Amino acid sequence: MGIYRYTIRRLLQAIPVMLGVITITFFLANAIPGDPVQILLGPSPSQSEIAAIRARYGLNQPLWQRYINYVLGVLQGDLGRSIFYGERVTAKIAERMGPTLLLMSSSYAFAILTAIPLGVISAKRRNKPTDHASRLVSLVGVSTPSFWIGLMFILVFSFHLQVLPSTNLVMPWANPTEIRSAATRLDVLVMSARHLVMPMVSLGTLQMAALTRIERSSMLEVLSEEYVQLARAYGVTESTILRKHAFRNAQLPIITILGLQLTSLIGGAVLIETVFQINGMGKLIVNSIFRQDYPLIMGTTIVFGVVFVVGVIVTDLSYAYIDPRVTYDEVD
Amino acid sequence: MTDPILEVRDLQTHFFTADGVVRAVDGVSFEVYEEEIVGIVGESGAGKSVAAASIMRLVEDPGEVVGGEVSFKGEPIVEFEETEAGTRRPTDAMLSNREMRERIRGREIAIIFQDPMESLNPVFTVGGQLREFIEINRDVGESEAREIAVEMLREVGIPEPRERLDDYPHQFSGGMRQRVLIAMALSCEPSLIIADEPTTALDVTVEGQILEQVADLQEKYGTSFIWVTHDLGVVAEICDRVNVMYLGQMAEQAAVDALFHDTRHPYTDALLDSLPRPDRTVEELRPIAGVMPEAINPPSGCRFHTRCPDAREVCRQVNPDARDVSESDERPHRAACLKHEDVFHEDYWSSPPIDNETDSGFAVGRTDAGGSGDE
Ligand SMILES: Nc1ncnc2c1ncn2[C@@H]1O[C@H](COP(=O)(O)OP(=O)(O)OP(=O)(O)O)[C@@H](O)[C@H]1O
Ligand code: SF4
Ligand SMILES: [Mg+2]
Repeated sequence: MGIYRYTIRRLLQAIPVMLGVITITFFLANAIPGDPVQILLGPSPSQSEIAAIRARYGLNQPLWQRYINYVLGVLQGDLGRSIFYGERVTAKIAERMGPTLLLMSSSYAFAILTAIPLGVISAKRRNKPTDHASRLVSLVGVSTPSFWIGLMFILVFSFHLQVLPSTNLVMPWANPTEIRSAATRLDVLVMSARHLVMPMVSLGTLQMAALTRIERSSMLEVLSEEYVQLARAYGVTESTILRKHAFRNAQLPIITILGLQLTSLIGGAVLIETVFQINGMGKLIVNSIFRQDYPLIMGTTIVFGVVFVVGVIVTDLSYAYIDPRVTYDEVD
Repeated sequence: MTDPILEVRDLQTHFFTADGVVRAVDGVSFEVYEEEIVGIVGESGAGKSVAAASIMRLVEDPGEVVGGEVSFKGEPIVEFEETEAGTRRPTDAMLSNREMRERIRGREIAIIFQDPMESLNPVFTVGGQLREFIEINRDVGESEAREIAVEMLREVGIPEPRERLDDYPHQFSGGMRQRVLIAMALSCEPSLIIADEPTTALDVTVEGQILEQVADLQEKYGTSFIWVTHDLGVVAEICDRVNVMYLGQMAEQAAVDALFHDTRHPYTDALLDSLPRPDRTVEELRPIAGVMPEAINPPSGCRFHTRCPDAREVCRQVNPDARDVSESDERPHRAACLKHEDVFHEDYWSSPPIDNETDSGFAVGRTDAGGSGDE
């Protein structure tokens, strides 16, 4: 089976999963005590105002009716309007998606680019000081909450040393003319990088730590394989063995974990966006829950669900790419 | 006869584990001459693979070659000297790791491992792996290495070798993979190939075909082989000389004919008795009594005395080394058994016998063989 057919089949298989996600979130969101209209209109709104808003968002209909309407809407690509903002949910999400994707992908990049060398070195110098140091780093990393790391970073680098900004993330693709003190594209990029570094490291540390440990054990396992011993027996140098004969095989578990870690990355993004006041999806989802903005809660959840599903499919595809034993027909 | 190409003297390789020192190879000597196939036979755990790894200097942690000598074409692969403090250290002349890698491994001595399923890297094509090793060890470029690979795959009996170069290991059967590994070893044109039970994982028909092919190729290329196996049948088929190993030491070393027809060690006798042969019924098969003891705390004296039907008191005290016991002086026939009193000068025959018959393992072995019914 070709890669396209496989991908399409996987996407189709994801539909019932997404339907489940929509159903659960819909009823959970509506189970939150309180009333979005009251939150929107403030302490003493008039009865007619309330009725108008309710009618406008269909809140006067029974729950099951609203559920069916919602699902039908989603099938046509309509996620409804935000009660709080009054805008279309899709527009709001499009606006907030950029910062979150930037944060998540840079954290992933940070985690991968640090964890893989650390893990490989750790495996190569097993039980030597470098190995112990890297294992200590990953142990601390795994057991430290990301928001705490973020707060400590702000305390040290923003308040005391005053070298890094803690708020107002600048997007690298922002228009230079719209940003004060930035004249050129390069200025924008530098500003963006300075803003991004603390949230990126805070969010990526957990992934980095977990990946380092997996990379280490995975490398150790592959290095004890008979085909590695065979390469040695044919005079291949240790560095070639590490780079070529062992490395590729050792990345298989890493890919699996990367796919699964998307959930914790999404969860972490919610916290980190709050700590660094980044106007991304994470903050949007938290605020919409506080405001009981049902359409927005639903919309953000669905988008995260899709991100996760796509992530898992990409994982499987890269698995088949690395390991010739995995073919698209076998994966079910 | 010329000088041997490989000489192993009193080789000792130990594993330093949490439970204690495993004496996997504990004073083993043998040699390999040009253009011959030398067998190393022994039960599982006898130390055959560890001995093979020691010759390549590929023993992995926590194992270490701790004593003895290995010399290959006069070059010291393993060589120790005494320090003033009375400890051993490798000599300066001993080949460095770099020299081992660049001059010996693959180029002079190649190895074929036991499990064809685990020996090839699953993520690279068979052709790619062959080519890489040929390029390293034959100093040829990519396209020439490819041609050598195709040629050699054809020699070992892989149909349509050129088309199969781009296939991955999982697309080959076990027998075909083992042929690939044999081709890999031969194509580097080493002087010596160590084959560590290469046909054990295969079915008998395939094993037979491969053995025949190897014997032909050995003649054609004049390569020497160390053929590690636990199967005396295989030894009879392809070996010129054979070394019988027991618990890290040599029991008997002789030309194949002499070993089979003029056996000088009770362990070899026991191995031969356990071998299925067309002139014997199943009832006459006698599995070797008991199990081989652990190499971590080997028995005192002769290591075989706990299972030897001929064991006597003196065998508990004296551990015999393998000495020449041949009567005619054409080729040495070594055995490590005190029964050869004229060579070992211990009072074996006057020493009281140890009754191994009451040993449970032995009794079970006999009852099983005899009790299977004779209608
Ligand atoms: N890495 C290791 N750590 C500890 N002990 C080991 C290690 N490798 C081998 N040994 C021990 O060395 C002894 C000899 O093992 P070896 O693999 O050489 O046996 P073998 O004769 O090749 O047996 P088989 O026919 O099963 O391959 C065994 O007692 C084994 O337990
Ligand atoms: S020395 Fe004794 S125990 Fe050892 S093989 Fe000979 S007879 Fe048996
Ligand atoms: Mg073995």
